Amino acid sequence: MSFASQPGSGMSRRHFLGHLRSTALGVPAMHFFNALRAQAQSVRGRRSCILLWMSGGPSHLDIWDLKPESERNGGPFRPIDTSVPGIRISEHLPLLARQMHHLSLVRSLDSKEGNHDRGTYLMHTGYPPTPAIVHPGWGSICAYELGDRLSGLDLPPCVAINEPGVGAGFLGMSYAPFVVQNPSGRIADFDPPAELSPLRRERRLQMLAETENAFLARRKSQLALDHKLIYSKTLRLMNSNQKEVFNLETEPAAVRDAYGRGSFGSGCLLARRLVALGVPYVEVSLGGWDTHADNFETLSRRLLPELDRGMSALVADLARNGLLDSTLVVWMGEFGRTPRINQNAGRDHWPRSWSVVLGGAGLTGGQLVGATDKDGVEIVDRPVSVMDLIATMTKAMGINIQTQYTTPRGRPMKIVDGGQPIHELLS
Amino acid sequence: MCPLWFQADRGCRSRLASRWWVILLVGSVSLIVGQRGMSDETGGGGAIRKQATPRESTIDQLLAESWRKAGVKPAPLATDEEFVRRVYLDLVGRIPSVSEATAFFQTRESGKRAKLVEYLLEHPDYPQWFATQWTILLLGRGDPGERVDRSALVAWLRKQFAANRPWNELVHDLIAASGSNRENGAVNFVLAHLEPDAVPLTSRTTRLFLGRQLQCAQCHDHPSNEWKQSDFWSLNAFFKGIRVEGSRSRGSSRGNLDAVVLADEPTEDYARFEKRNGMVGVAFPRFLDGRKLPAAGEVERRAELARMISEPTNDALAQAFVNRMWAHFLGRGLVSPVDDLGPHNPPSHPELLEFLAREFQSSGYDVKQLIRLITASRAYQATSERPKNSSPDESPFQFHYMQLRPMSPEQLFDSLLTATGAHRAGGSRSDEKRDRWLRQFLYVFGNDEGEELTTFQGTIPQALMMMNGELIREAVSAKPGSFLAETVRQAEAQPRPAVYLVNQLYLAALSRSPTARELAQAGLFLQTDPNSLDVLQDLFWALLNSNEFILIH
Repeated sequence: MSFASQPGSGMSRRHFLGHLRSTALGVPAMHFFNALRAQAQSVRGRRSCILLWMSGGPSHLDIWDLKPESERNGGPFRPIDTSVPGIRISEHLPLLARQMHHLSLVRSLDSKEGNHDRGTYLMHTGYPPTPAIVHPGWGSICAYELGDRLSGLDLPPCVAINEPGVGAGFLGMSYAPFVVQNPSGRIADFDPPAELSPLRRERRLQMLAETENAFLARRKSQLALDHKLIYSKTLRLMNSNQKEVFNLETEPAAVRDAYGRGSFGSGCLLARRLVALGVPYVEVSLGGWDTHADNFETLSRRLLPELDRGMSALVADLARNGLLDSTLVVWMGEFGRTPRINQNAGRDHWPRSWSVVLGGAGLTGGQLVGATDKDGVEIVDRPVSVMDLIATMTKAMGINIQTQYTTPRGRPMKIVDGGQPIHELLS
Repeated sequence: MCPLWFQADRGCRSRLASRWWVILLVGSVSLIVGQRGMSDETGGGGAIRKQATPRESTIDQLLAESWRKAGVKPAPLATDEEFVRRVYLDLVGRIPSVSEATAFFQTRESGKRAKLVEYLLEHPDYPQWFATQWTILLLGRGDPGERVDRSALVAWLRKQFAANRPWNELVHDLIAASGSNRENGAVNFVLAHLEPDAVPLTSRTTRLFLGRQLQCAQCHDHPSNEWKQSDFWSLNAFFKGIRVEGSRSRGSSRGNLDAVVLADEPTEDYARFEKRNGMVGVAFPRFLDGRKLPAAGEVERRAELARMISEPTNDALAQAFVNRMWAHFLGRGLVSPVDDLGPHNPPSHPELLEFLAREFQSSGYDVKQLIRLITASRAYQATSERPKNSSPDESPFQFHYMQLRPMSPEQLFDSLLTATGAHRAGGSRSDEKRDRWLRQFLYVFGNDEGEELTTFQGTIPQALMMMNGELIREAVSAKPGSFLAETVRQAEAQPRPAVYLVNQLYLAALSRSPTARELAQAGLFLQTDPNSLDVLQDLFWALLNSNEFILIH
């Protein structure tokens, strides 16, 4: 690859013109994509994570842990068989049922936080919010631990699609999620104004470099150097072929249809493209799960079909491309929903005994971990804590689970504090 | 390699004459290139540089002592250009406009720096800027929820800073505030931090007003400082008895909150907390210095706490504020982090901290007086250029030269508009456009809550927005109403329009004239592109995107 500009070097004219030439030659998108993919895969032991985030709190009892025998709590949905004997999930997930052997189901998570903000923070960081420290999101930790090792990666190491995710806390803004608000649209401000000629773009950058260098020459400050560095990173992305990754138009119509063309399906497709290039962490949100009313209508008509299509296409696609072995897929929200069905045919917040799904990155597929009682209230087998989950994910990513940071204020923080990886999923 | 624009120009020279103001330019370009620098390489106009050294203040004496010990030499004074930009950003939250900067350069009065500080302290942007900063410290940048009226708090703070309300009284009112959150804006600080169990309120109160980090002691005795878990919860117990009532407007279909009313009732309640060993602890109100309240009813606990914190003799209150102000003006607190004072974290200059706190107390917690004191010091007026022959590992925290600091998102936004008039470009509806940009801007830039930053916390979306965003496009668009359009119009009447134009762009963006080298380069660009407006737009774009623009220096 010809994109060899060193961080901090700014964009040289040759680099810029090299970019112009390659676009002028009109290299077909698929061609360089294949090259890039090959390169990305050559990075040994590389791991990525795609987190499917169900914001609002998904009703796990109508998705993963159905209780048809429970008179009060069962709800109208029926369970169906999956590709794994003994695992049955909601009838509204027929496509996902066929991928179940790639995934494992934890039905016994106890997460304790029943408030949206606190639950979101907890599930993203492993820690409940406290005034003492702003914990980095686990995705930012992945970006911090894994992103900088990928020298060929021009893309941001942590990407959040549809919703902003959780920030990087004390790790700093460089590791905060790069937010894609609309996966089918264009990235905001990605390109210089169309009317700006290449000549003028070049002139602007030259004038900028002159001003920056003159300022730096007399003030040897880290701050001024950092400014230059972030501009050089941004220019590297703006001029990189890799930014084509955000253009879903290059995908065949059949693929787009398979994922679904809504924000979630498109987000899943974009996530697959991003991890194929080596991006360590991508989060895709599907919102609307806060179903205090009309839970069953909302799920069966809108949310479950969208989830089914996008998530099943993603898992199948990753498996087909050989990417599932290096890509951790996690499904979760900020909490589950009450076993009890309220008077508005809804379910309320429930962090005490709910379900999450994970697979890929070497985790054993087709496993069932933990169980709740017949009414879905109490955990009756193998309780799993949020830190156990974080420990499992951290281990799957090949990050040392003993890793400990010291915050700028001198306080220690472990990535995994008191959790144990779920051994049933580790082979 | 021959520069691109130079080659492009050869074929185009004949077209040069087709524009009126290009004709004006061509005549003057040779003048520019050949002319002696308008200002020398050190960046300051030589003639206006005879700035009298400020009379040596106690701050200077105390620092000079530490410089001698550390073996470092203080940097020269900042030029007027450096100073005017710095003091506008620090006092009114934005860079000076061209006319504001020029007015300062041109005056020959003695003591003009002190006079400028005085002028800015009376400027309406001063209380606005300090209200904005303190709102962020008190509430954060995020959405504080429907019970909190952010703009009422801003308005209340603005009034306090405009009236130069003594700091201890202001703090008292924030902690003790009661009534409607619409009518008494101060109420919103307490309202924002009540859940859960007033834990956030306890930690913010001690952190912001007393510079004490008790929050870790919420869960355990602090390992490295003096605080015990019971200290945190004894303070927390002062917030028992708070009552909050919301009223919703009748007939309002969406049930919007009209107002939230904060009140207290006598209580005998205590704080409960879980100790590390699993036992449950109990805490009644006890201030950090050990003073207790009678357990039984009668007293309003919150008012008592406000009284104890704001007592004029409370050294912690004075130290926390002067340290924060020192960090505001000098880039780093005498104690750092700025809100973590105590025996475990000694100040870099103990005598200086003590002196400032004493002065602040004896002035009656006069905020403006403290600002005068700090801004008159040599340390504040030093250049940000690192002294020549300084060793690379010399600590910058001797305050012998000025630290670079990143602008806050609010400073950056207001400075961009001041420099470019982007919100006026194209005519009408400037408020609507301004508000929309500000929202976009804070979304992309708003991250921390005013932590001291030693790294530039830049992100790719921020750089993308600065390079390609709508605001910057409008800013350099030269549409009617924008700074660029206005400057081009005025250039017609100038004897040397090119010099004038380039000079104005530098003044607008960087509050200084171009160096001779910069002027010559701009001249070259102008000479070699038939469309001079393009060149000016590109230059303006480059200046606004530069480190020199986005950093306070």
